[in-house]
Amino acid sequence: MARSIVIIGAGPAGLAAALEAERQGARVTLVDEGQRPGGQIYRQGSPALGGKDVAEAAEIRRKHDLLDAFCRVRARLDYRPNTSAFALFGPREVHVATDERTQVLGADAVILANGVREVAMPFPGWTTPGVMYAGGAQSLIKGQRTLPGRNVVVAGSGPLPIVVAAQILRAGGKVAAFAPLHPVTAGARNLAGLWHGRGIVLEGLRYLATVMKAGVEQLTGFVPIRARGTERLESVVLARLDAAGRVVKGSEREIACDALAINYGFAANSELAAMAGARMRYQQLTGGWLPEVDSFGRSSVEGIFVAGDMAGLRGALVAETEGRLVGAAAATAPEAFVKQSFEQSWRKELTRRRRLCEFQEVVRAMLAQPRALFAVADDDTIICRCENVTVRNLRFAFSAGHLAPNTIKRSTRAAMGWCGGRTCLPMIMALAEIHAKAAPSAMMTPRPLARPVPLSALANPTKGQSDAEQDR
Amino acid sequence: MPNRTADVLIVGAGAFGLSCAWWMSKRRDGSRILVVDEGEFAGGASGRNGAGFRMQWGLELNIRLCQESIRFFETAAEELDYPPGIGLKQDGYLVLAHSEKALKTLEAAVGTQHRFGVPSEILDPAECIKMVPPLGRERLRGGSFCGLDGSASPFLWLDALLRACRRQGVEVIYGVRARSIEPVEAGYRVHLDDGPVGVAKVLICTDWAAPELLAPLGIDVRTEPLPKEILVTAPIPPAVKPILVSLEHKIAVNQVDRGSVIFTVSRARTGTSTHSTSDFLGFAAPKIVDLVPGLAHVPALRAWGGVSSVTPDMQPILGETERDGIFVAVSSYRGFMTSPAVGRIMAAMVLDGDTNDPIASALHPRRFAAGETIIEPLLNQE
Repeated sequence: MARSIVIIGAGPAGLAAALEAERQGARVTLVDEGQRPGGQIYRQGSPALGGKDVAEAAEIRRKHDLLDAFCRVRARLDYRPNTSAFALFGPREVHVATDERTQVLGADAVILANGVREVAMPFPGWTTPGVMYAGGAQSLIKGQRTLPGRNVVVAGSGPLPIVVAAQILRAGGKVAAFAPLHPVTAGARNLAGLWHGRGIVLEGLRYLATVMKAGVEQLTGFVPIRARGTERLESVVLARLDAAGRVVKGSEREIACDALAINYGFAANSELAAMAGARMRYQQLTGGWLPEVDSFGRSSVEGIFVAGDMAGLRGALVAETEGRLVGAAAATAPEAFVKQSFEQSWRKELTRRRRLCEFQEVVRAMLAQPRALFAVADDDTIICRCENVTVRNLRFAFSAGHLAPNTIKRSTRAAMGWCGGRTCLPMIMALAEIHAKAAPSAMMTPRPLARPVPLSALANPTKGQSDAEQDR
Repeated sequence: MPNRTADVLIVGAGAFGLSCAWWMSKRRDGSRILVVDEGEFAGGASGRNGAGFRMQWGLELNIRLCQESIRFFETAAEELDYPPGIGLKQDGYLVLAHSEKALKTLEAAVGTQHRFGVPSEILDPAECIKMVPPLGRERLRGGSFCGLDGSASPFLWLDALLRACRRQGVEVIYGVRARSIEPVEAGYRVHLDDGPVGVAKVLICTDWAAPELLAPLGIDVRTEPLPKEILVTAPIPPAVKPILVSLEHKIAVNQVDRGSVIFTVSRARTGTSTHSTSDFLGFAAPKIVDLVPGLAHVPALRAWGGVSSVTPDMQPILGETERDGIFVAVSSYRGFMTSPAVGRIMAAMVLDGDTNDPIASALHPRRFAAGETIIEPLLNQE
């Protein structure tokens, strides 16, 4: 009998996994929060909006190839857009919800492909309307065909800020300043890595060229230290920091703008894996708490697989390749899975992934996240926006020895609100390190619900199993 | 650590353990009090409950335990020198009846409450709904209300106690388990994870886990774990002013200051897991929507579990065990709301040998063996 598989997330990893699992004869249910498939990187706007795609041609090609392939098999899958997975207790208990209903899906295997979220650095005024994540600004352009502002400052680490600055310009916007934390040449000495990622490097250079050609002021090594404006962002003060996170005197630059797009790293959306009991490890630069997986995405929990950035930030190309590998592994019954022969038949993909991962070392050099960034926040800076918890509140908690996520949460309420700590936890851990010399400790206990669900939907369950469970 | 000693060892740093330690430190300068807890700050039932307190009970001893405790909560910020305050809110408790029988029970309890000065009253269904508009009308027969009842933040309460204890010289250590108690000539040697400690007296405040330490000494403490689960919603504008308790739904509803609504849902279950169970949301949500249909649209944010204790008569156990110098305080699932009074009573008992407190003498640990039963009419005894 065919294997049943539930896949969470319809980005490159989830889509590739769905395609491969379906090709192997599995019955696939694909659950995604988005209205249209593609995830964050291949986000699609409503066709009704029109407008042009501001991505690089090669990226647009990859996107269309993957989405076209998905369209061809879509009718054979149980594809569920606008649906979120809010709890996971094992492959037989995947809790999903729409705005109206909930359902418990059961399958032979679950593939978690729900990616990463962005990390911000907190500074006085960072909660002013108009300050947003770089990826958030990008979603506005890709999904809504809307500019994040008339005059935007883009700041952050890694490649995303370059891409976003270029896409704002290509969409007809103005970039007031571009402040990469590290020189864009940070990883350039890793020649082997560069070679393996030459295609992507080329795309990156084209984005960079867009920014240079537009004559955008580049402030390398500058970070936002204050956002001004009450109703709406009016200006940003950028400055250089010393190793202790103090502002280098005289380096301040105030730049007028109505939007600030920032990104200082990523955190894996790994709550569901942890909730299901998967063994986790901590790796700051690739997403914080990550599930431990083998080369075919198998976690420590039987039947729970992970693919793509959620198993460690490595970008869309790795995600897609890995999605295929994991889709194939999940479609194979555990008793039929022989690792050696699997490695043999998937040699090409494994090699491709390895090479792409070598390229990721180049990217990682641009992602380094000095703790000093988090020292910019003053005592009145809000860290947990849901519960209005400031640096002062956190320091009060640290002073009583509350240094682990669970006890900081209990003593300050940080991470207890709407977002469940998705925004503030990486910052809180950095602040505990800076102000109280705390070492990274156990992950915050993951609780249902990983996403908010209306009580009425929880009270309105669809009985029975998913389509993946029914014979066809 | 060789020859480590203390005058009193308190096992468990929950609301009972910390309150007892604080009252002890306040009573007698010089007594060396050591508190150990195997978990982390607020990791047990004291940090997982629904945050409510009430004096609406049907039995004198519960009414008085809670009256005293609520008076203490009212001044806790000053008493414990804790400027953030403990998140006190006194908007009352509305206990709901969905049957004639339940309403009769409430009426009788209000009669008892009046004898002890509790300003409670019976409300008819229309008055209940006027007070809490999202309430469902169906089957609702009325309720009893007392405006002095309310809630506080268990986290802030524990943090206030912890800091006050430490300021007064109490040593509080987390992540250290008491493995066993060994009687020695001058008291007890308690074997902790990090070595033995010699103490004159031991007070066990580990609630449902108390038998684990006491049974090997031949001490019979009759309590069992009572797992509960809680669901909290996103913040919404004020909708539920008083805390609601529905005897029929077995749900308590508390909308806290910042707007979130906390639902504490009871159901027959055993075990000691603090994880939310996979069928909890499906069990709880329909009952919640039946009780307060006006809140059906509100998003649920998070669910968690906690384990409190329950004794055979559902009343606390407070007192010295048959072993001299070994004391026990078991909450029977109202530890947070009774902790101020229990701290005072136990401190007097442990340090001064004062056993004259009428509440404590009724709740002594040997009552079950003696066949004494206490019945609290407002608790469901099925």
